[in-house]
Amino acid sequence: MTTALRSAAGRSAARPRKPRPSPFGLGVGVVAIALTVVTAFDWRFGTGLTFRGFIDNFGGRNSVIAAIPRADLDQMFSARDRGAFLDTVGIAVISSVAGTLVALPLALWSTRLGAPYRWVEVTARGIGSVIRSFPDVLWALIFVAAVGVGALPGVLALFFFSIAVITKLTADTVDGIDTGPLEAADASGSGHTQKLRTAVVPQILPAYASFALYAFELNLRASVVVGIVGGGGIGSRLEFFRNNYPGADRWEKVWGLVVMFVIVVFIIDRVSIALRRRLV
Amino acid sequence: MATAVLAAILVWALVSTDANWGRLTDAPGRLVTNFRLMFTRMSWSDVGRSMEAMWESVAMAWLGTMLAAVFAIPLAFAAAENLVPRWMSFGVRQVFNLLRAIPEVILVLAIIPFLGLTPSAGVVTLGIGSIGTVSKLCSEVIEGIDSGPIEAADSVGANSLQRLRWAVAPQALPEIASLVLYRFEINIRVSAVLGALGVGGIGTVLRSNIEFKNWGPAGVALIVVVLATITVDVISGAVRRRLVAGPTGTPATREAHVVEAF
Repeated sequence: MTTALRSAAGRSAARPRKPRPSPFGLGVGVVAIALTVVTAFDWRFGTGLTFRGFIDNFGGRNSVIAAIPRADLDQMFSARDRGAFLDTVGIAVISSVAGTLVALPLALWSTRLGAPYRWVEVTARGIGSVIRSFPDVLWALIFVAAVGVGALPGVLALFFFSIAVITKLTADTVDGIDTGPLEAADASGSGHTQKLRTAVVPQILPAYASFALYAFELNLRASVVVGIVGGGGIGSRLEFFRNNYPGADRWEKVWGLVVMFVIVVFIIDRVSIALRRRLV
Repeated sequence: MATAVLAAILVWALVSTDANWGRLTDAPGRLVTNFRLMFTRMSWSDVGRSMEAMWESVAMAWLGTMLAAVFAIPLAFAAAENLVPRWMSFGVRQVFNLLRAIPEVILVLAIIPFLGLTPSAGVVTLGIGSIGTVSKLCSEVIEGIDSGPIEAADSVGANSLQRLRWAVAPQALPEIASLVLYRFEINIRVSAVLGALGVGGIGTVLRSNIEFKNWGPAGVALIVVVLATITVDVISGAVRRRLVAGPTGTPATREAHVVEAF
């Protein structure tokens, strides 16, 4: 569509054509919509997405939801639940610290700069990918099956989960560092480990510390489901009230625990985010 | 000083956590035994069930992410400080923070009474759980765009909608699409976790097989989940890089940015 405009010099100028959307972008959009349609319908490859349940049950006669406003906030004062809360924090601390320590070498080895040989890089990267593809609940299931129920499988599970999280983030950071100090180290004849220690690690330390805190935050959240399948801490108390508690006020207690948990996590999150901002 | 505090916390945790440390020495041996059991008893007949369950998890994750995006993207425009007044963006952000504080496993407990132990419950949970994060990241993308095109649009008399369409969207959309895809990658893992609570998908298969010690099917399910997750990550990662960098381009790194807002 062109409109002729007369400029002062008397020549006509055409309005520029509207830019066409990129074919790649369009392709992605089409695939996205197709995938959404396929997965929404109620057939073999779909989930049969429906919101009927909300409409049907909205009358509020549902005992689980009705218990929410009546949440039993006294859970905080029960010794066993307090112990479970502290266990959760303890599990998160131990697994985060241990995971952070182990993640550093693995992360360094999975980068081009940090790996002494190419095969080390490839292997470390492969291990990292596999570890990262395990959802946290899978680690918990595996360790509960191996050592039984309690806080120990929780610690082990979240240890591996932390490694997964921290390794990737740290490796990405290493890929982005300034190579100047590395060249200086090479020029002065350092060995590989020395080079890492003096030129790489100091640069990534703030980010690395912030990732450790981040892993701690994630571990706190993950502890819920880890506990549900047997890993100790607040999750196991939740599961107990959900399934094994004989009293009629099950859901009041469950929601009471939930409220306490959300508040504690919220506070710890705020503190952690503030700490992380000051690090990076 | 900081390390002293950290050491003190660690010591407290080690001492006070009620873990059966004695079993730690048994752990590697038992682990190896279980893995051996899992991988030597696999059979091809289990693969079909696991693949279907994995697809269900992927479907839940995709729909949940799309659901979140539908609400989160408009909301992000309401939270971007360069587009709306301060009080509004602040208010909307606090809502996001609140949503983000609720772990999905707890959210699903509130959704199951309505939707039952069905994939729909998983989808809705993932959707609600993702809105906060996606919205926050999108609003940061929007705040980070170049104001040049916005001024240009305003100077030729564009109204709000036209300004959005021609000055804001073309800059923000590729990055927004990229972070939505990243959320999808994460939601696949969350979907497996929710499955362990009964809504369906590979999580349900994994949990029931491991807890009932059906080692063969458990091994198959484990391999399926690992391979599927890695595949989705690789494809999604490639699409995301291409979206942000363009056909020629140099990769921009907004990954570290993404971490902050989890």
